[in-house]
Amino acid sequence: MREVINEEVSVVMVYSAKKRIALPHIISWRSREYRVGKIGYYHSVKVGDTRHHIYELVDKDNSLWFRLNLDSGNLHWMLEAIHDGLAT
Amino acid sequence: MDLQLNYNDPLIMHIDLNSCFAIIEQQANPLIRHKPVAIAAYDTPRGAVIASSYEAKAIGIKLGINVREARLLDRNVIVMMPDPDKYFDAHKRFKKVLLNYTNEVTPKSVDEFVIDFAGSPAVRQGQSLVDVGMNIKQDIRVALGEYVTVNIGIGTNRFLAKLAAGLHKPDGLDVITADNLRDVYSKLELIDLPGINRRYQARLNMEGIYTPLQFLDAPMMTLKKQVFKSVCGYYWYLRLKGHEIDDVDYGRKSFGQQYALGDKTTDRQQLARLLMKLSEKAGRRMRRDGYVGHGIHFWLNFENRMYWAKGRKTKSGIYATQDIFLNAQKLLNEASIPARVTNIGVTVFNLEPADPVQLGLFDDSRLDSMSLARAADIVNDRYGEFTLVPAIMANMQDVILKRVAFGNVNEL
Repeated sequence: MREVINEEVSVVMVYSAKKRIALPHIISWRSREYRVGKIGYYHSVKVGDTRHHIYELVDKDNSLWFRLNLDSGNLHWMLEAIHDGLAT
Repeated sequence: MDLQLNYNDPLIMHIDLNSCFAIIEQQANPLIRHKPVAIAAYDTPRGAVIASSYEAKAIGIKLGINVREARLLDRNVIVMMPDPDKYFDAHKRFKKVLLNYTNEVTPKSVDEFVIDFAGSPAVRQGQSLVDVGMNIKQDIRVALGEYVTVNIGIGTNRFLAKLAAGLHKPDGLDVITADNLRDVYSKLELIDLPGINRRYQARLNMEGIYTPLQFLDAPMMTLKKQVFKSVCGYYWYLRLKGHEIDDVDYGRKSFGQQYALGDKTTDRQQLARLLMKLSEKAGRRMRRDGYVGHGIHFWLNFENRMYWAKGRKTKSGIYATQDIFLNAQKLLNEASIPARVTNIGVTVFNLEPADPVQLGLFDDSRLDSMSLARAADIVNDRYGEFTLVPAIMANMQDVILKRVAFGNVNEL
């Protein structure tokens, strides 16, 4: 089920100059590291003057979905929610 | 003499995103793909389902039922609340793809577009619109994600294009021309036609019209004088034959906000707080678009299915949130509240451009309130919505969430 987390997390991000894209690569949350698999959707929203980048992705094992929020004002990462793909 | 079918080349394309909200959520989260997903206004048992995935539709989870009913139909249904910002982003990407083909792109809602290809580069180069449609499908998959599919319909007018888009869901691409029009109509029922609801169907039945083909062949005067009893009959006469009648821009008439109360109440103070937040939201949108209003409409729905509504025109302009709130509050004071309120709404109408300002002779504070409203908007633009709010709205951050309008998307 979907669970709201709203905790700051450590994230390794990779930028490809060739593809001109920046993507999260590894998420470190509650003493575990998750390698990023598929990026489902990326979008950004403005909160006042600050742009927030929202990444929705699954880990390499396809076992957990993450919603990450990068605050471009302070470059902090927030794990907003997770989902295991089940209803309950 | 009867009007002929429209034999022109079909150059109108209608595109809609399949199960828009649900499919964008399934795109965003690969773990819920190919599973029943319901997007509900609230994820509580009485929250209304506003969109569902194809897998959910197949088991009867349709728009309008509540979360409890959806879970009774399938206990494994994944219920989610909407994420409007994500859908607005998808809408913008969708539009960007279409603008690569022609500038004549008209959004009809967050997930629907109409494109007029007359004079477009593709048509000038002699490209078939079916090929263009296939290219658009591919481009949308690249722009929005591999799981996102669209229905495309092509016709000589908007009505036929929309009808064609609905023929083979999901991921369809159909063309209706004068040559196959009768064949298409022969396989449909009246209720399958866009714009024909149960009441229109009953009216048509009363005049002996039971099928789309009988509707197509009905004389114009029968439709105008007997069935619709208005010019609408004439419009339907043209529309069904493939002539364009819906290429009309109605423009902005009002700004409204409404809210379905999670905690139903009869408490006027609580209603006033909600009213202030609705006023602020409507006012922000109205000021952003540069309008001032000259009328307020306020309404309440009650749990006994009764409603109360009243509108009033105003001499002075309504611009600031306080203007909206004070006028609506007067109407709230006049309202009788026989049962707990389930829905509340406010609308500003009689719009005119905010600049130049029309000052009243005895209205010496207008410029002050306009300046204050503009200053507050600048603060909220910079630091985020509801950073600076009237005191009555304190601690209301999570009340009245952002929502996606079903129709008009002019503000995106």
